Amino acid sequence: MSVKHSLLALLYEKPRHGYELKTGFEALVEGLWPLNAGQVYTTLDRLERDSFVESLSHDKKDRKQYTITQAGKEELWFWLNEPVGRSLFKDEFYIKFLCASHVSYDNKKSMIRDQKETILKDILHLTHLRKQMSLSGNDTMKLLIEGALLHLEADMKWLERIEEEL
Amino acid sequence: MINVVSLTKDYKTGKEVVPVLKGVDLSIKAGEFVCIMGPSGSGKTTLLHLLGGLDTPTSGSIQINGKELTSQSEKNRTLLRRKEMGFVFQNYQLLPTLTVYENIIFPLHADGKKASPGDVDELLNAVELKGYENRFPHELSGGQQQRVAIARSLIHQPSILLADEPTGNLDRKRSGDILDLLAKFHYEQKQTIVMVTHDMFAAGYADRIILFKDGVIEAEVKREDEDYARFLARFMA
Ligand SMILES: Nc1ncnc2c1ncn2[C@@H]1O[C@H](COP(=O)(O)OP(=O)(O)OP(=O)(O)O)[C@@H](O)[C@H]1O
Ligand SMILES: [Mg+2]
Repeated sequence: MSVKHSLLALLYEKPRHGYELKTGFEALVEGLWPLNAGQVYTTLDRLERDSFVESLSHDKKDRKQYTITQAGKEELWFWLNEPVGRSLFKDEFYIKFLCASHVSYDNKKSMIRDQKETILKDILHLTHLRKQMSLSGNDTMKLLIEGALLHLEADMKWLERIEEEL
Repeated sequence: MINVVSLTKDYKTGKEVVPVLKGVDLSIKAGEFVCIMGPSGSGKTTLLHLLGGLDTPTSGSIQINGKELTSQSEKNRTLLRRKEMGFVFQNYQLLPTLTVYENIIFPLHADGKKASPGDVDELLNAVELKGYENRFPHELSGGQQQRVAIARSLIHQPSILLADEPTGNLDRKRSGDILDLLAKFHYEQKQTIVMVTHDMFAAGYADRIILFKDGVIEAEVKREDEDYARFLARFMA
């Protein structure tokens, strides 16, 4: 969840002020991840402290503009090149399942059924979104959704498998 | 628009009469994208064939754009079908001895019309088969064959597209491409689409989902309904 690096990516294009970063970020994620102004400013403060961005003179409307520094660009490249691992317990349902077994929870069946229902809901939601991204020509976002859908499909298969074993 | 009232269909096998559709009422507005889901053998293909005038019902009424289909002569029904409807079948059903190009323009041919090269070109581009026009179906992948079938179903600019599991035999990537293609045509040309599918990934593309069971409509849900996703998920899970 790197708001920090997303802001660096936005500043890589051109200098922007805080509000432009908020709207730029929301456009980047197609409005699917709202960012509050406070979050933008605290992140900018940290980025400035680490010398990844610099503030420029205020613009005509007296808003502080930010620009990316060379160190900021290097940080962005470094981050882009860093592979992302996936921990076994990243999915909270895994740890839930583990705990349910630990306490011999006798409602595992309904737990799994409800989880499947949630996954199906997510699948419907994302396929609809995929359609919208396809119509608006946002191919990158479409690829992201496809990735998420493949994960959901795998989750679904796994749940069916453990359902069989119960 | 499509209006179906008290539709039934029995099949006779030997002396036995098997009721397949047991009273279907259904109304589909012009430009709607509807999806029909339900267990295997529940009568989805049968319904689609009746809507398309490929088969006749045992009783009940089907109106297509205000015209009663069931009271038409065989000949008029065929004419109505050719003018108003496009079909994508469960297994492509391309003509094996015709090229891609000839398959696509076949519905026009059957109607004694000439294909305008511009229209065919546009469709070939839309289904991303430019350069494949002289190939034969057996020289194409499943996804490519299905794209030919979609181009063929739309060449005569029907107001209604009936698609029976258009993504049935395709992997995720290819079925996604087919759905995007249908969505694009639907967005640009506002056809009425009735799509039968087993696939939740396809269902998300429709405005309304009709759940079929044992020859009747068991439930239906619209995308804008508040518990659309929960309702469907319950039904599927
Ligand atoms: N020509 C026919 N003669 C006799 N029975 C038939 C005929 N066509 C279909 N049926 C029967 O009617 C029932 C419904 O068939 P239909 O093809 O409409 O099902 P479906 O919902 O499309 O199933 P699927 O999801 O497997 O494609 C089945 O039990 C089938 O065996
Ligand atoms: Mg069928």
